[in-house]
Amino acid sequence: MLVKIVERVKEFSLPGKASLVVILVFLLVAILAPYISIHPHNISSGPPLLPPGGGHPLGTDELGIDLWAQICYGARVSLLVGFGTALLAALGGGLIGIVSGYLGGWPDKVLMRLIDIMIILPDLPVMIVLAAFFGPSLLNIILVLALFSWVFPARIVRSQILMLKERSYIKSAETYGAGVWYLMWKHFLPEVFPLVAVNMIRLSGRAIVAEAGLSFLGLGDPTSKSWGLIIHHATNFKGIYYTDFWKWWLLYPWLALIIMVISLAFISRELERMVDPRMGR
Amino acid sequence: MEYLFTIWVIVTLNFLLPRAMPGDPFLYLSADEGQEMARFSEEQRQYYLEYYGLDRPVAAQYLSYLSDLLRGNLGYSLYYNEPVSTIILRRLPWTTFLVIAAVLLSTVFGTILGSMSAWYREKWPDKFLFFCLILLSEVPAFLLGLVLLFTFAAGLGLFPLSGAITHFASYSSWWEKLLDILHHAFLPVMALTIARVGGMYLLSRNSMTTVLEKDYLRTAWAKGLPKKRIIFRHALRNAMLPIVTRVFLSLGSLVGGAILVENVFAYPGLGHLMREAVMVHDYPLVQGIFLVVTICVLLANFLADLVYRKLDPRIGDYSGIHGG
Repeated sequence: MLVKIVERVKEFSLPGKASLVVILVFLLVAILAPYISIHPHNISSGPPLLPPGGGHPLGTDELGIDLWAQICYGARVSLLVGFGTALLAALGGGLIGIVSGYLGGWPDKVLMRLIDIMIILPDLPVMIVLAAFFGPSLLNIILVLALFSWVFPARIVRSQILMLKERSYIKSAETYGAGVWYLMWKHFLPEVFPLVAVNMIRLSGRAIVAEAGLSFLGLGDPTSKSWGLIIHHATNFKGIYYTDFWKWWLLYPWLALIIMVISLAFISRELERMVDPRMGR
Repeated sequence: MEYLFTIWVIVTLNFLLPRAMPGDPFLYLSADEGQEMARFSEEQRQYYLEYYGLDRPVAAQYLSYLSDLLRGNLGYSLYYNEPVSTIILRRLPWTTFLVIAAVLLSTVFGTILGSMSAWYREKWPDKFLFFCLILLSEVPAFLLGLVLLFTFAAGLGLFPLSGAITHFASYSSWWEKLLDILHHAFLPVMALTIARVGGMYLLSRNSMTTVLEKDYLRTAWAKGLPKKRIIFRHALRNAMLPIVTRVFLSLGSLVGGAILVENVFAYPGLGHLMREAVMVHDYPLVQGIFLVVTICVLLANFLADLVYRKLDPRIGDYSGIHGG
């Protein structure tokens, strides 16, 4: 599997390759955050609102906390929320898709109706209400996001299973007495896995944006220094519109978010095109 | 049917949430800000429990909650000292205005650009548009809003920084007021529109490409019909159906975007109000907004279903043949 992926990467277009590099860099930054951040990310390490340069490569915020350190640690939050949500949603959605597609009948009907509704419902108001009542924590945010994301892998898996069920090799395996679990492991999972894996990248992009939005409102986890939270503090600073502080305080977390989200989108687009040539365009 | 069921589930969840909340809601209601904890004697406590109806069985509380809702009573906002429904009704038009304007503009521009792309497929205008709009479609609306705010409002001073109308202004005529409102709404609507136009573009490009390859279009060309007529009467009309569906399906995410964008521009709609309500722990108001927003989105989709059945005769009536 892994070798196949590496071979595939060579077929990436230029933006795709660039995006992959960007994500790898973000991953490295997130993992190495304590070693490359120079200054602490949660306590003051210099005069407030220092422009970039000198000891602080990206300047400092209103409390004198180094921005580069905050961005390094923010990458951890974003990636954790993104991949945590995607993993949960893919597992849950995948399971539901398999049940729905393989069993058919009334469980399928009920689940499909549920999916139709979940797609329509706006997720942000729900997240705000839950954050208001249960207190915002990263775990809560991941759980709610997963609750709203499982529908996409579920749909993909279901349609794939429906298609596979009719294939002659599955039929013949069944006549030879293959059980449900055998079919699952030997035939369904290997076929379905690449599609779900590709979808996970898209889901993590969505989750990262959603977390940033919630933090921007000031409803994210206040203990995690996420990029959205930096933007929240910056935009709530009284004189931000009339001074030059936004040129580093707001700009760098903004850039980090945009670059991360667009890179994820480009990678998933590229992979979608490869896994299923009809889906890409 | 399923819409009614969903609304019931949401309403019930809304009822259960404060009761599942960790901690004693009683303390939240009675403690003042800054005060660590309100101290009440057992008698006072009993009195307030009775006053809020919290001493009755949960089923009875649920029933009275439902009957209150049906009469449009969403509770009382402790912070604003007004009924929740009154506050929401005052703010709702602003949000509706933003959302509808963004839907219309993004659909129109998305369809035009998508059709152009499909027309020049694989030539440079298509490739250029495709790349630009894919990039745009991934940028969330509130991040776009921040850019617009800092360049056009704060930097160039072309637009107001916040609000929906100029406070304490007196207008000599109604169109002057309208102009003021549009001036304030321009940037928020732009942010929402730009963030959405990419999605609509991709969809209409796909839809248009499929339609352009259909046999009836070849017939139209062969008949020597004018180009304009072919594009608008024959191609676009048929390509519109999936676009209309998508408009309503993605309404939920657009509302989410509007909530964030309102907060970027301090636009006095429901999204801005919701955040304020959370910040001051005004739980009845938070719940009221949540209910209203969700039910509005569901209703819009329900209406869309009805309209869609009318537009596409193939999925028209249940009794007939299920085509397509």
